[in-house]
Amino acid sequence: MDIQDIQGYGMFFLTIFLTVILYWYIIYLYRSEKKGERDFEKYGRIALDDSIGTPPVEDKIASERENTKEQIK
Amino acid sequence: MFFHWLEKNPFYFAVLISIVISFAGLLEIVPNFAQAARPLTTETPKTVLELAGKNLYVKDNCIACHSQMIRPFKSETDRYGKYSLSGEYAYDRPFLWGSKRTGPDLHRVGNYRTTDWHENHMLNPPAIVPGSIMPAYKHMFTNLADIETAYAEAVTVKNAFFTPYGPEFKKTRAAWEAHRPKVLADAKKIADDMKSEDVKKAVANGQVPEIVAMIAYLNSLK
Amino acid sequence: MQSNAALEYDYTVAKMFTYVTILFGFLGMLVGTILALQLAFPELNYLIGEYGTFSRLRPVHTNTVIFGFTVSGVFATWYYFAQRVLKVSMAESRFLMILGKAHFWVYFIGALIATITLVFGISAGKEYAQYEWWIDIVIVIIWLMWGVSIFGIIGIRREKVLYVSIWYYLACFLGIAMLYLFNNMSIPTYFMTDGLGSINHSVSMYAGTNDALVQWWYGHNAVAFGFTVPIVGMIYYFLPKESGQAIYSYKLSLLSFWGLMFVYLWAGSHHLLWSTVPDWMQTMGSAFSIVLILPSWGSAINMLLTMKGEWNQLAENPLIKFMVIASTFYMLSTIEGPIQAIKSVNAIAHFTDWIPGHVHDGVLGWVVFMTMAALFHMAPRMWKREIYSKKLMGIQFWMQTTAVVLYFTSMWVAGITQGMMWRAVDEYGNLVYSFIDTVTVLHPYYVIRGVSGVLYLTGFILFAYNMYKTITAGRELTEEPQFKTPMA
Repeated sequence: MDIQDIQGYGMFFLTIFLTVILYWYIIYLYRSEKKGERDFEKYGRIALDDSIGTPPVEDKIASERENTKEQIK
Repeated sequence: MFFHWLEKNPFYFAVLISIVISFAGLLEIVPNFAQAARPLTTETPKTVLELAGKNLYVKDNCIACHSQMIRPFKSETDRYGKYSLSGEYAYDRPFLWGSKRTGPDLHRVGNYRTTDWHENHMLNPPAIVPGSIMPAYKHMFTNLADIETAYAEAVTVKNAFFTPYGPEFKKTRAAWEAHRPKVLADAKKIADDMKSEDVKKAVANGQVPEIVAMIAYLNSLK
Repeated sequence: MQSNAALEYDYTVAKMFTYVTILFGFLGMLVGTILALQLAFPELNYLIGEYGTFSRLRPVHTNTVIFGFTVSGVFATWYYFAQRVLKVSMAESRFLMILGKAHFWVYFIGALIATITLVFGISAGKEYAQYEWWIDIVIVIIWLMWGVSIFGIIGIRREKVLYVSIWYYLACFLGIAMLYLFNNMSIPTYFMTDGLGSINHSVSMYAGTNDALVQWWYGHNAVAFGFTVPIVGMIYYFLPKESGQAIYSYKLSLLSFWGLMFVYLWAGSHHLLWSTVPDWMQTMGSAFSIVLILPSWGSAINMLLTMKGEWNQLAENPLIKFMVIASTFYMLSTIEGPIQAIKSVNAIAHFTDWIPGHVHDGVLGWVVFMTMAALFHMAPRMWKREIYSKKLMGIQFWMQTTAVVLYFTSMWVAGITQGMMWRAVDEYGNLVYSFIDTVTVLHPYYVIRGVSGVLYLTGFILFAYNMYKTITAGRELTEEPQFKTPMA
C-alpha cells in the first residue's frame, strides 16, 4: 500500500468518523433539550445579562460547591 | 455526558478544536511531501548571482503582479510556453507562483526576453510597452545587490536540504571570498549586454548593481 | 460575589487596543487607497522613491489591515466582552492586568517595527507571511501572551458555561497559532554560515509545490481564523447585546461552529487549482469550499433571524444597520468564494481582479463594518459617554456601503473581462489579444475602484472623528446603557 492509498483511506474514514460525531452532537443537542435535561437557549442570555452585578446563568462557584457536597455524600 | 463535560473544560475543548483543525493539514500536506519535492532531472539550482536576483524579486515583491505558474490551458501555453511542472520548482524557496496577474506570467520569460529588453523596460516600462502601468525600477541601477547573502543562502540550502551545490560551497568566509570572482564574472557577462555605462563601471569595480542580478534571474526563468 | 460593591469591569487594555485599531485601520486603508489609485494612475508610484512602488506597498497594506487593524480589533473586543460574558473583572487579578498591558505594548511596538521592515523590502516573500524570521518570533511571543491572558481569565470566571463567542475567539487563537508557526518555518542563513550576509535573511523550510501547499493552507485559513472566526464571535456578542434579543438559536451557533472548524481547513487548496499540486487535493479544495456554504450561512442566517420581530430597530439604530449589512456581506462573500472555487470558474477568475474584489467585499463589508460597530458599541460603556453624533454615523454608513458596492461591482466586471480576454481566440485558434490590451481595458474600472477607496477612507475618517469626539466631548452618562447604545 503506498502513501496515496493511506491518504485515501485516512481521508475516507476520518470524514465518516467526524460526520458521525457531528450528527451525534446534533441529536444530543436537540434530544437533551426535549427531555428537559438541559436548556441551551438560556445560554443566549449570557450576552444580554452581562453586568457584573447580575448572577451568572450557571454559577461556576456554586456548582463546584455542589459537586463537592455530592462527593462527601 | 461527553459534550456537556467538554463545554465546561476549556483545556480539553481547546485540544479538540486543535485536533479537528489540524486534520486537513495532516492528511493533505504531510504525506505528499517527499513526492512533491523531487526535482526534474534536468533541473539545476540557481547560481549565486541568480539567487541574489531571486531575493530582489522577493524584496521588490514582484509577485504582487506577476505569476510564475503556467496553467495547462491552450490559451496559456500559446502565450507563455510549456505548462509548469512540479519538479521545476523543487529548488524554489520560497515558491514564487504569485496569485495575481496584473502583469504577464514570468515562468518562462527567459525564453523570449533579452538582457537588453529588460534593461530598457525596467528604466521605463511604458516606453517599451505602451499603456503599461508597471512602475519603473530605476533604483535597481544604483542599489547594490547583496551577493554575500545569496551565497549564504546557497550554502544553507546545500547543508540543510541537500540542494546539489558543488563542494566549493562552504560556510567559511574564505570560501565565499574564493567564490566571489565567479559571481563577478557572471555579472560581467550580463553587464556586457547592457548599455548603461554606470552599471558596466560598477561591475568592473567589483560591485553588482541590483539590475544585473535581477536580469540574471529573469534570464534563468526558462 | 457581591462582597465588593465597587467591583467594575476594567477596560484599560480594551481602550488601548481600541486606539490602535483606529490608527492601523486608517493607515491600512490609506495605503490601500494609494495602491488602488496607482493602478489607475501609474505616476503615483514615485511619491517616495523606491519605497513607494505598488509592489513594495502592497504587503504594507495587507499586513497592516490583517495584523494591524483586524488583530488589534480582535484584541480590543476580547478584552472588552470576555470579562462580561465570563462575569469577572480584569481588576480582580493583578497578573492579568500586568499581562494585558504588556501584551499591548509588545504588540504595538512590534507592529510598528514590522511595518517599517516591509517598507524597506525585508521580506520572506510569502503572501501575508512576509515578515522575516525574527519578527515571526516576536509575533509568536505576542500571540502566546494573548493565550495566557485568555486561559487566565477563563480560569477565574464565575459563569460556568463558555458563551459561544468565547468558543470562536479560542478557535481564532489556536488556529492562527498553528498556521502561523508551520507556515513561517525558516532557517536564517546568517547562522548557518560563519556570519555571511544579512542577518535578516532566511530560507523557507519547504520548497516549490510543498511551499505553495503550506502557504495556501495558511493563507486561506489565516483568513478563516482571522477574518471569519473572531468576527462571527464578535457579532454573536454585539448583535444580541445591542438589540436586546438573544441569539435566535443557540444550538445552531454551536453546530455551525464545529462545521466551520472541520470544513474550513480543507478548502485552502482552492487557491492552487490548475497548478502543480496533486489533482485530488484540488478537487478536495473545490468540494469542501462548496460544503463550506453550510456552516457559513448557518451563522449568517442565525444572525439575521436574531432580529426577527425587531426589524424596526434597523431603521432606528445605525449600529444595527452596520451589523445587519455586515452579515449580509458575509453571506455574499461566502457564496461568492465557493463559486470561484469551482474549477471551471476558477480557470477564468484566477489571477484576475475578481479575486481582490471578493476579498474586499468580505473585508470592507464584513470585517471592518463589524469591527467599527463593535467599537461604537463599546465606546459609551468604556468612557461612560454618549456617542457624539448619530447623524455622522448615518452619513458614514451610506458612504462606506456605496464604496463597497462600487468596489466589488467594478472588480467583478474587470476580472471577468480580463479572464475572458486572456483566453479569447479567433477563428484560426490564435490568441486575439496581446497581454497589454487586457491591461489598458481595465483603466475605467481601476478609476472606479480608486473612487470607492477614497469614499471608504473618508468614511473611516468620519468614524475616527466620531470616536474621538465621543471620548473627549460626548455627553456624560450616569449609568451604563443596558442594550441600545445611546447617541446624540
